Amino acid sequence: MRHIRKILLVPLLLSCNALYAGGIYQQPDEFIKQVFDKSPVSVKVIWPDKKLQQEITNILGHEYKGLRIRYWISGTKTAWVLDEIGKEKPITTGIVINNDKIELVKVLAFRESRGWEIKHDFFTKQFENAGLDKNIQLDRDIDNISGATLSVRAVTKLARLALLLHQQVSKDGSS
Amino acid sequence: MVHRKRKRFSAFLWHRRAGLAAIILVIILAITGIMLNHTESMKLDETFVDSTLILNWYGLDPTGEPVTFGIGKHKVSQWGNQLFFDTKVITSSEQMLRGAVQSERFIVIALDSELLLLAENGDFIERMPTSTSFSNIQRLGVKYARPVIETSEPVYYYMADEHILDWDLIINEEIKWSQPVGLDDTEKKKLGQAYRGKGLTLERVVLDLHSGRILGQFGVYLMDAAAIALLWLSLSGFWVWLQRNTKQKQKKHYQKHHR
Repeated sequence: MRHIRKILLVPLLLSCNALYAGGIYQQPDEFIKQVFDKSPVSVKVIWPDKKLQQEITNILGHEYKGLRIRYWISGTKTAWVLDEIGKEKPITTGIVINNDKIELVKVLAFRESRGWEIKHDFFTKQFENAGLDKNIQLDRDIDNISGATLSVRAVTKLARLALLLHQQVSKDGSS
Repeated sequence: MVHRKRKRFSAFLWHRRAGLAAIILVIILAITGIMLNHTESMKLDETFVDSTLILNWYGLDPTGEPVTFGIGKHKVSQWGNQLFFDTKVITSSEQMLRGAVQSERFIVIALDSELLLLAENGDFIERMPTSTSFSNIQRLGVKYARPVIETSEPVYYYMADEHILDWDLIINEEIKWSQPVGLDDTEKKKLGQAYRGKGLTLERVVLDLHSGRILGQFGVYLMDAAAIALLWLSLSGFWVWLQRNTKQKQKKHYQKHHR
């Protein structure tokens, strides 16, 4: 009987862990403060034109909800806080780009019950120094996490989107 | 004392029992099946359910009363977890609507810890989590055509720049606070229709009745049981017919050769 109880308890504990692993890990403004530390940072917005909107749609697979996108800039470094739905709810991700390469990817909020493993460094570190190729794809492969495929896809899309937006603001200095 | 001989398994008896048990479910299965076969001609996919009971069952009827703030000739409302610009759905949010104002460039909507920016025609511009800077928004107002928010614990007043990018601490003077307004019956009815969106089609309800999903997973098992009962009815019916047929043949054979 004791063994049966133990066997029942293990998946119960594991499922509890899965339930509580999601949530808000860091507030966006705390992320920005941490990224830029004491460097002078200014907040700007980009209003994507039709061409850029189309490219964004191609990346996300749907239209971006919103006419302007906010970002933070200091020198050649930009930071983006973007949302994309994994399965049903948005995953908020902070992405820092420097000289057209990803410097940091951090999952700030994960609201679904499955796929939260993407918050771990072993996953987000894969994006470091990644850039965009001619086809607006990442210039490297990102390993999937079984059971978190949709979350992995969402964060990969956001990484591509941030790189594209960074290229755009570097090109025309939109504000 | 007479001991009745225990009956052996009787296919006819169990055929009758299964038939009686499944009668209602089989009728539902048959009628909904016929309806689904003629979805287009019966226009099931174009007919929308209006029954409050069914809409409630599907969780499609809003609960409580809508909260509305007026902006000139437009209205921003929250009903359930949905936000509307007039009757156009903006987004959904679990947070409470705190106010809506027209600023220099945008329509600004405040929730507990989130601001939404809309264009004058209601197009969605940006969703801005206020994060730790201004959590607990209590009221939204306007001063010099710029949005102002009041926070609680501690009570502070912040005014945004014209692009709503930066916020400055100000004192509570000359702020015109956004006030809730009521909706008349027609407006409320239209908002209710907008809440349901395209609504619930009759096809969906018939399909869910047919599969049993209208009662959740239990309903699915119930309809599975009805389908198994139907299978049993056809097999046991055949068996009963076969037995009777054999007996009749034996009887005829006996009458012919043993008289």
